Amino acid sequence: MSSTHTVGLSEDCGVILADGTKALAYRHAQIDPYVDICEKVTLDFSGVRSANSSFMNALISGLLEHHGEAVLEKLVFKGCKPAVAVLVESAIELGIRKSGGRVPA
Amino acid sequence: MNHFQLPPLLHAGGLLPFLTMVGKPLEDGDVTIDFSQLRRVVPASMVSLAAMVHLWEKQGRKVRFSGISECQILGYLQRMDLLKSCGVTLKELFQRHDARGRFFPVKAVSQPIEAMAQEVANCLAPGGEEYDHPLSGLFDTIAYVLTEVGNNIRQHSSGVGFAAAQVNRQEGLIRMAFADNGMGILKSFQTVAAPWSIDATDSDAIAKALQPRISCKAGEPNEGVGLTLVAELVSMMKGSLLVVSGKGVARIYRDGLRAFEELPEGASYRGTLVAMSFPENAASRYAELLHNAKVKAGILQPGRGRATFEP
Repeated sequence: MSSTHTVGLSEDCGVILADGTKALAYRHAQIDPYVDICEKVTLDFSGVRSANSSFMNALISGLLEHHGEAVLEKLVFKGCKPAVAVLVESAIELGIRKSGGRVPA
Repeated sequence: MNHFQLPPLLHAGGLLPFLTMVGKPLEDGDVTIDFSQLRRVVPASMVSLAAMVHLWEKQGRKVRFSGISECQILGYLQRMDLLKSCGVTLKELFQRHDARGRFFPVKAVSQPIEAMAQEVANCLAPGGEEYDHPLSGLFDTIAYVLTEVGNNIRQHSSGVGFAAAQVNRQEGLIRMAFADNGMGILKSFQTVAAPWSIDATDSDAIAKALQPRISCKAGEPNEGVGLTLVAELVSMMKGSLLVVSGKGVARIYRDGLRAFEELPEGASYRGTLVAMSFPENAASRYAELLHNAKVKAGILQPGRGRATFEP
């Protein structure tokens, strides 16, 4: 298992993150494939100026829903401004609720 | 022929009578809008008029604009791009000054929503894009509201939508408004066969849309918190919110009281209007507002942070 996979949100998605459809496609392409093969997955929000619930829920809650709550042990959220951190925590709560404590296969 | 005489005051008090007037069944034929008596407008009346004009034209009606030369606020309507957004081009007898910090003119919600959010937030909160700027919180609030409501227009309405905004320095208020001419909130729920929506009214549908985790498009990527959080944010800032969709009208007052009613005289607004006003300085602590709005909506429990953050 390789060590850390890092994605740069501002470089890949822009400084304003607002479209849930884009977030979902990004997650499928850039995050999901690495969850099972990396020890850490770092979501780097440095440079992200603003985000909304649509984007963050599609990006993060779906990760928990599909990989189970244990994925939190692998995820690192880097460079979050305070409002982005609120959106991260809220998306995690949503994901936990939706995953129902599911343990991944 | 359908003739609409715009009243002198198309502001907060005149808005619902205006929506009632344009929301009644039309006779066959063209539409004439008379601007001669119009003296005051707000963003909500401008975007809803633009949305209606586009709807009527889509229905194959010719829309005529009369009394424009007698309109006392013609220059203002031109500067706000209301006439332009309705396809009317007139010679401008004034110089266009910078809109930054004052208003955002009527504009179709058609470009990528991130770009529009940046444009509107930069316009209403100039300098706020810099995180340490005093208007940084206002920038964030505007970007949040615009992207969530704009996403609703683009993803759910199947119609054309418009946005406009105004900074009223005297009152210290930001006014933002969005209107589309699409299917409306109730029909949007019905298209995804939400069981409760079969016998629901338009007001029921608006009330549902204001609840967390009720989405017109179930599952990823929609979690149904967009309008809910916009409403909570506005309430946290002691602002007011108006949502009109079909026959339904919902208001959230500055004291947080919510009221639901129907447009009178059987009128039905085709599409959805979302209009709000909030004190400019209330947006300064945006992260705290967002946190509290999420807690109040029941989608975030304080003190239960599970994320691993790194600087």
